[in-house]
Amino acid sequence: MKDFDVVVIGAGNAGLTAAVAAQRGGARTLLLERHNIPGGCATSFVRGNFEFEVALHQLSGMGTKEKPFILRQIFQKLGIMDKLEIVQERELYRITMPGEFDVTLPASWTGLRKMLIETYPSESESIPKFLSLCEAVTKEAFMMLPRAQKANDETILKSSCPNYVKYGLRPFKDVLDEFFDDEDLKTVIAAYWCYVGMPPKDIPFQDMAMMIYSYAAFKPCHIKGGSQAVSSALLESFLDAGGEARFNCGAEKIITEDEKIKGVRSEYGETFSCDSVISNTSPIHTFNELLDAETPPEQVANDFKSRRVGTSAFVLYLGLDCTPEEIGISAASTFIIDDRDEELAHKNMEAMVPPCHTMVTCYNYDDPSFAPEGKSTLSLLCLQYGEPWENVPPEDYAETKYDFADHLIEHAERVFPGIRDNIEEVEVATPLTMMRYLNTPGGAIYGFRQNTQEGVMFRERMNAIGGLFMAGCWNGMGGFQPTYMIGESTGRAAVKYIAKQKAKKEEVTCA
Amino acid sequence: MPNNSIQKNVLHAIDGYSDAMDHQKQLEQTGTDFTEQKGAVAHTISKLHPKRLSLEVCEIIQDTPSTKTFRFVSTGLPLPPFQAGQYINLFVNIDGVETARPYAISSAPLTRGYYDLTVKLVENGFVTNFLLNNVKVGDQFQSTGPMGTFYHNPLYHGKDLVFLAGGSGIAPARAMIKDIADRDLPYKFHLIYASRYVDDVIFDEELAELDAAHAFLKITQVISRPPEGYQGRRGHLNADVIKELTGSPESKMFYLCGPTSFHDFCAEQLETLNVKARKVRIECNGPPKNPETLEGWPADLLPAKEVKVTIKGKGSFKARVDEPLLNSMERNGYSAENACRSGECSLCRVKVVKGNVFNPSEARLRETDAQYGWCHSCVAFPTEDVEILV
Repeated sequence: MKDFDVVVIGAGNAGLTAAVAAQRGGARTLLLERHNIPGGCATSFVRGNFEFEVALHQLSGMGTKEKPFILRQIFQKLGIMDKLEIVQERELYRITMPGEFDVTLPASWTGLRKMLIETYPSESESIPKFLSLCEAVTKEAFMMLPRAQKANDETILKSSCPNYVKYGLRPFKDVLDEFFDDEDLKTVIAAYWCYVGMPPKDIPFQDMAMMIYSYAAFKPCHIKGGSQAVSSALLESFLDAGGEARFNCGAEKIITEDEKIKGVRSEYGETFSCDSVISNTSPIHTFNELLDAETPPEQVANDFKSRRVGTSAFVLYLGLDCTPEEIGISAASTFIIDDRDEELAHKNMEAMVPPCHTMVTCYNYDDPSFAPEGKSTLSLLCLQYGEPWENVPPEDYAETKYDFADHLIEHAERVFPGIRDNIEEVEVATPLTMMRYLNTPGGAIYGFRQNTQEGVMFRERMNAIGGLFMAGCWNGMGGFQPTYMIGESTGRAAVKYIAKQKAKKEEVTCA
Repeated sequence: MPNNSIQKNVLHAIDGYSDAMDHQKQLEQTGTDFTEQKGAVAHTISKLHPKRLSLEVCEIIQDTPSTKTFRFVSTGLPLPPFQAGQYINLFVNIDGVETARPYAISSAPLTRGYYDLTVKLVENGFVTNFLLNNVKVGDQFQSTGPMGTFYHNPLYHGKDLVFLAGGSGIAPARAMIKDIADRDLPYKFHLIYASRYVDDVIFDEELAELDAAHAFLKITQVISRPPEGYQGRRGHLNADVIKELTGSPESKMFYLCGPTSFHDFCAEQLETLNVKARKVRIECNGPPKNPETLEGWPADLLPAKEVKVTIKGKGSFKARVDEPLLNSMERNGYSAENACRSGECSLCRVKVVKGNVFNPSEARLRETDAQYGWCHSCVAFPTEDVEILV
């Protein structure tokens, strides 16, 4: 008998949900994690009296108790829902271009429509149409499209997914231009492009439509204890189900035989035999460094050629000696922008120029327990590609990061003056920090560039190695909800694969 | 790869699908399979944050009767840059026991060829006794890379800096002073250095030279047990002395480094002077010595009591309740990754599966850690029989 049925490499979001789904699905599962804590970027760290959320800004997909959405159901299935305390957010976000506009969108589908119409009366006809389209495309994409695709029937596709056929894959920017004239409104609606990392002209309409609809209709939320609370709960559920986890234990090689999984060797030289591997590390690392082959399988190599490594981020984690109100915080999430041109902002992400799009997240705005009394926990974030940072000589690194951080604080202080004077704790994370902790090329945080052709419908599953599954933001959308979901479904896929292998073996034995 | 059955693929009926496929083809023409980047991530990270340094003692300087500075060169990759005030955790093997202790780097960051570690004898200190009495030039060690958050942060520390050092707490101050001098930084730096005896003053001559050479620097020594006829300042550092020496303490940034009792006391004194917490940085210095005196310690639990510690799936041993878990694990041949050994860095976190441990306030645990039994073993004390997952 093999040591394990499944070895999961990496305890990030997808690794954790995959491990729980596999173990609870009956597969004997080993979870390997090179750090000492589960979660990957879904973690937190402590400085002084502050605990900083590393990566979660707004969790989507939970819905409310009364109106549960898909992620809540998955968490229930994975046995962690009763361990989590959900904090609903009141606003979607505030977006401001100092001196030009300052708009706060409510976390409510009807409230959003009302608010946008009030703010942009000249677009009062287009706004409801646009929002209805977002809703329709989301629903078609989730419910009808998979069936039409399965049937591979154009008539069914056109009749069941009329909106998707017309709008789903068009650039988000095109659709905005089709519906609206007001440039401010377009910018306000496109703010979530930061959660994808590509400018609106390179994001398919469906991705943004889904985000706008599901965030507004099902509300963004936080978890008490931060994303670490989810990660810890998932690990606990995995251990309770009899799973085995090793921390401080990275995988060094994936061992194959006849293009099938045979086992995994750890960085300490211990080998675990298994039939299946779920890799929660990037496919680039998986196929080019972990796999026991000189070059990646042809299928994978070809796939890689059409991919580009996505963005990383520069983040300042701030513990402030003042309340959110004292510096003017009026929503948990605020986008501060210098201009309406997202393409320019995207270009700036490739160079080390002062940030012009800054995202400010205040964690204790909707729930005071996220910071010590009278204080605030904030993160300032701007997207940055890894390359300019990889070229900084090590001896200049500290100075470079403080210079950049200085600009970021200045930028945020245009809207929230007084940040700097109230700093009690600060930690700076650059793309190299992301690279260090996530082990991703370029310190990528959302995987490959999330352009239209990155979507699952354009990709074949990388199945060149029997039993090797990929789970994470590199194989679908980035972000929390998508990675939790892809992990869970991958865990189930691995269970099925194992069962099939066992059935095959039994057949052989019987014969 | 894109769907092979393109002709039959119904998705082509979706507006934008074919465009995206074409775009994908174009990208394929100019892209790579990333094999040229093999090892790039590990290489980039190892230059800044190597997991381990391979070190060799190239020189030992006797600073005082009880203190030596060990000069380490790398036998592997070049030493990574660090921020003045940071430490490395030095791994040692003493009579078969694998353990480690963190020491602040006392040399300057721009001195890239070596790291100085300044070690003062701790009474009955397991590791300091070994280092001071047994280590010789040529001995080799492993350490972590530079770590810690005790350094001047230009984002908010300002330019008016005061360093309160006690005993070997002078080590990071020396690095900071040299860094300001080397980089010609526009800061004022006032070192207030407390020692018990004049013989204990580490870097005495060097500090005098630095003081004379640099206008940014002011050094005040305070001796608590001076010899007869001592001309300098005597006594202990307290609020009055700090106020007298610094003028307006509330406008300055304070760095506190020394024995735990020293920085605890100094922090209290600064509080009475209305210095805000955000103006005080403290370098922690090991686990609490007498955990039984701390708040939250179980009533009636004697420090000498022994309990059974079981390492799940591996074995068990007896340990005193007042000894940090990490230390007793190491003495019994078990290990956990570690660095600060003061409760902060969280590298030594382990999961308590059965039983209870006492977590002092030094343990900077995450909010959800208690719920699932995670603790920082370097400052966790088993108050009853426990089972640990390492």
